[in-house]
Amino acid sequence: MKTLFFIINKSLQGNVCGQEFLDMALMAAAFDQKVVLLFEGEGVNALVKNQCPSGLQLKNIVPVLNALPIYDINDVLVEEESMEMWGLVEDELEISVDALSRKAIKEQLNLADHVFSF
Amino acid sequence: MKISIQINASPYQYQAADTAWHFIQAAMAKGHEVYRVFFYHDGIYNAQRDSRPPGDERDIVKRWSGLQREHGVDLVVCVSSAQRRGLLEQSVALKVGGFEQALADGFRIAGLGLLMEAVIESDRHITFSA
Repeated sequence: MKTLFFIINKSLQGNVCGQEFLDMALMAAAFDQKVVLLFEGEGVNALVKNQCPSGLQLKNIVPVLNALPIYDINDVLVEEESMEMWGLVEDELEISVDALSRKAIKEQLNLADHVFSF
Repeated sequence: MKISIQINASPYQYQAADTAWHFIQAAMAKGHEVYRVFFYHDGIYNAQRDSRPPGDERDIVKRWSGLQREHGVDLVVCVSSAQRRGLLEQSVALKVGGFEQALADGFRIAGLGLLMEAVIESDRHITFSA
């Protein structure tokens, strides 16, 4: 089993790449790999509650986020500095996450076999 | 070393496909094995048969086809990325009334499972994006 890190540093809406990137992470989990999702930079906005992408005829990713534990994806990290930069607190997020400092995340990244971004 | 490659950007607009191609040439020259090239997101446009660049430009699609023909490198295009963008496999095109010759020689269309298999099998997986 490999440890695969998926870095989401762009908004998941406004670009089909975000959706296709999540598909990759789910597929990795389906292949019994250890998947770690990391939200940083603009990507932290993907987790904010009460989004309504249907107004833009876009798919809502919230059901996917809520289904992550079903796929055995239990490591969802958020960079503290990014949260601060976007003025977000954990209560405003759709799912429970581990908020870590940039330094702590870097240490975790060193343990990954592969790192993906989009 | 066993290497797999992922290309996420369309050809000509971005350098990803060129850089990846040169990287593969260099890796093979050093004796490394390129296990698979996986085309994802807008990278699927690398497999478009009807790409016709001006004569004095590199032909990116033909270059990939040549890589498969001469070195047997597995060129895989993601099925959902491709269908979303109108690049259909022949059997699917026949079923839905789409263009049947969309895919260039040497490419095959398959699912994300083949990407994951490549990641698991390879010592290194390298992504080239926009």
